[in-house]
Amino acid sequence: ERRSSSLQHKSALFSCVTGQKQIHCRENWSLSPEEYEIWDRLYRIKESDGVKEPVLPRVQFETLENLEEKSKREEEAAHELSLSEWSIWQNHPFPTSLVDHSDRCYHFISVMEMIELMRHEQGDCSYELEIKPHLRIEDVNVQRNKSRLSMSSST
Amino acid sequence: QRLKAAVHYTVGCLVQDVAEDKEMQFSKQTIAAISEITFRQCENFAKDLEMFARHAKRSTVTTEDVKLLARRSNSLLKYITQKSEELASSNMEQKEKKKKKSSAAKGGRTSGEQEAAVTESEDSNMA
Repeated sequence: ERRSSSLQHKSALFSCVTGQKQIHCRENWSLSPEEYEIWDRLYRIKESDGVKEPVLPRVQFETLENLEEKSKREEEAAHELSLSEWSIWQNHPFPTSLVDHSDRCYHFISVMEMIELMRHEQGDCSYELEIKPHLRIEDVNVQRNKSRLSMSSST
Repeated sequence: QRLKAAVHYTVGCLVQDVAEDKEMQFSKQTIAAISEITFRQCENFAKDLEMFARHAKRSTVTTEDVKLLARRSNSLLKYITQKSEELASSNMEQKEKKKKKSSAAKGGRTSGEQEAAVTESEDSNMA
């Protein structure tokens, strides 16, 4: 049967004992008593561990009203996984195992590299100098800028 | 390079607005970084939109595909959906009524594309 074979594959990944009985228990979506015991003993984070529960930061939009409220105050007691504390490592692709870096990942790496190169610039910006000669005024929405200026002058 | 320059200019204008609004300064390097990110993000968006449309067996990208770009944040999705409804209804208005006064008044504070649409319809009305 296809299903049990994929389950068997999963349990092989965790290098568990793959007996006939265990596969039978896995028919359920939840952990079997044996699995629960293993999880509880080896992986579950308890208070005595002295480490905080890891949580991912939530999406928040500075310029929009946010629908998702931070419901749990206890998140203070959790370790929020940071996506920026190791930014100086991120201007090079990190090693991969089975999944390649995506295009947007490479974009991210290039921008981090660009930021690194500009970090020590003072005053004039090399990017601006390089790109400014290519600006054609018909490409940009001058209307917006004008209306803003006229608005500030009229008020 | 020409496209990058246009993005850089527009990002500069937007950042200036934010700077005035929040009363804080942005370095030229920060503006450059934001515009490079924006430029590259357009590539991500373009590829996704094309794939979303193809997934629905369409070759034309629609507003439904654009909404899918915003699926990860409820607030963003709500905002985009609202905007697309506004756009759709104002397009309807223009087609059905062809009354310039109200749409021209609205055009002032909405997106550039809409302004272009308004002026276009005005031109065709004049002709």
